[in-house]
Amino acid sequence: MDTLNAGGVRLSCADLTTREINAALAELPDGAEARIEEPWGRHNLAVGLTNRITIDIDGNAGYFIGGLCDGPDITVDGFVGWSVGENLMSGSVRVRGNVSECAGASAHGGTIIIHGDASSRAGISLKGGTVLVGGDVGHMSGFMAQAGTMLVGGDAGHALGDSLYEAVIYVAGKIASLGSDAKVENLTDSDVLRVKQLIDLAGFDHIDPQNVKRVASARQLYNFDALKDQKY
Amino acid sequence: MCGIVGLHLKNPELYPRLGELLASMLDCMTSRGPDSAGLALYGDDADHQPRMEIFKDVGLPREICERYGVAKRSGYQGIGHTRMATESAVTTEHSHPFAPAENMALVHNGSFSNHASVRRRLESDGIRFVTDNDSEVAARYIAHQVGHGADLGDALRMVLKEMDGFFTLLVTTATQFAVMRDSFACKPAVIAETTDYVAMASEYHALASLPGIGSATVFEPAPEEVYTWTR
Repeated sequence: MDTLNAGGVRLSCADLTTREINAALAELPDGAEARIEEPWGRHNLAVGLTNRITIDIDGNAGYFIGGLCDGPDITVDGFVGWSVGENLMSGSVRVRGNVSECAGASAHGGTIIIHGDASSRAGISLKGGTVLVGGDVGHMSGFMAQAGTMLVGGDAGHALGDSLYEAVIYVAGKIASLGSDAKVENLTDSDVLRVKQLIDLAGFDHIDPQNVKRVASARQLYNFDALKDQKY
Repeated sequence: MCGIVGLHLKNPELYPRLGELLASMLDCMTSRGPDSAGLALYGDDADHQPRMEIFKDVGLPREICERYGVAKRSGYQGIGHTRMATESAVTTEHSHPFAPAENMALVHNGSFSNHASVRRRLESDGIRFVTDNDSEVAARYIAHQVGHGADLGDALRMVLKEMDGFFTLLVTTATQFAVMRDSFACKPAVIAETTDYVAMASEYHALASLPGIGSATVFEPAPEEVYTWTR
């Protein structure tokens, strides 16, 4: 470990185990900066962190990058494998490349920003997080997403939003097919505003917020009565 | 789980390094399958005819590669497998690759749920099996289709119709190198292509030490698509 000019910390996957890197990151004070070098597809980098730090991953990384985090802002200069930002609670994970399957799976909060394409099942079981994809998403994206928002700047694969609960998916490009109980709804002024805010957050410049499709649940497949158990 | 790797060399200057490159890739996949491992290596014999050799055994990939001197072996393509057994015994016979026909080899990550039915049908057609492994059924099914005139791509597409389960398959013949994933793309796969080679692995880090990987075209094979490269 040596010191960056900016006062940050360099951690190299060539020298350190994943556990050593994550332990070093966890000890950094809020506001610190760190750079992870030589990742070469390493899994589980920058996971389970609760400090408000900034992390750059300098290259292509593996599975579960930024998973379970509750605070840091992570940027990957490369592509990543499965389940980036899985179960994210807060903070952000930005990938300046493509991502594999299950991006943002079960994310409760925070923002996952993908500048390239995302593969199958992006935003699966989303629980309140925000998944912003500049490019395309693969089949079964938004599967069983319960809460939160997805934005797809390119095209969506087959069975988009299958078994959706209350998450909303905005798609700028073509939708190969909708999944069970997903439907395209009219775009309202508040949707346009929301999409504009998401585009600004991501830094995307290729999406027209007035020209996206809003996909939400048709609410025919699930029945949930929040007051059912009130008498207990 | 299970890990699969494959390397199809386009540049003959890399032929002497086939075993060395594959052994390193296979070692990276130990975490996906520490029970047993194996490789199929393709080279040209003294008469310039293609020749496939299979090395497989129980134990860690690194030990198996050292035991059979894999790193010193040359050739033009090869595939490998690290096995985490889920449905049949851990023995050398149950290890991958399976070689159902001359110069054909298959490695599989996943599981087939209707392999017993398909096996019975194949047995009634006179096909003989060596193990009760589900992947052997897929291997012999594909060989059976090819034996009846299908090309390798068509035979793999028949797997989508006839076999139920999760799979990423990597199948090679003396001239071809083919990858296919199931409809749900449940099992991982990543392909890297340069002017020198096509490489495939379950996870990217198994490709990370290949020469020129930094400038390779890296992509994830789509579900139900057959990707084929021909020598």
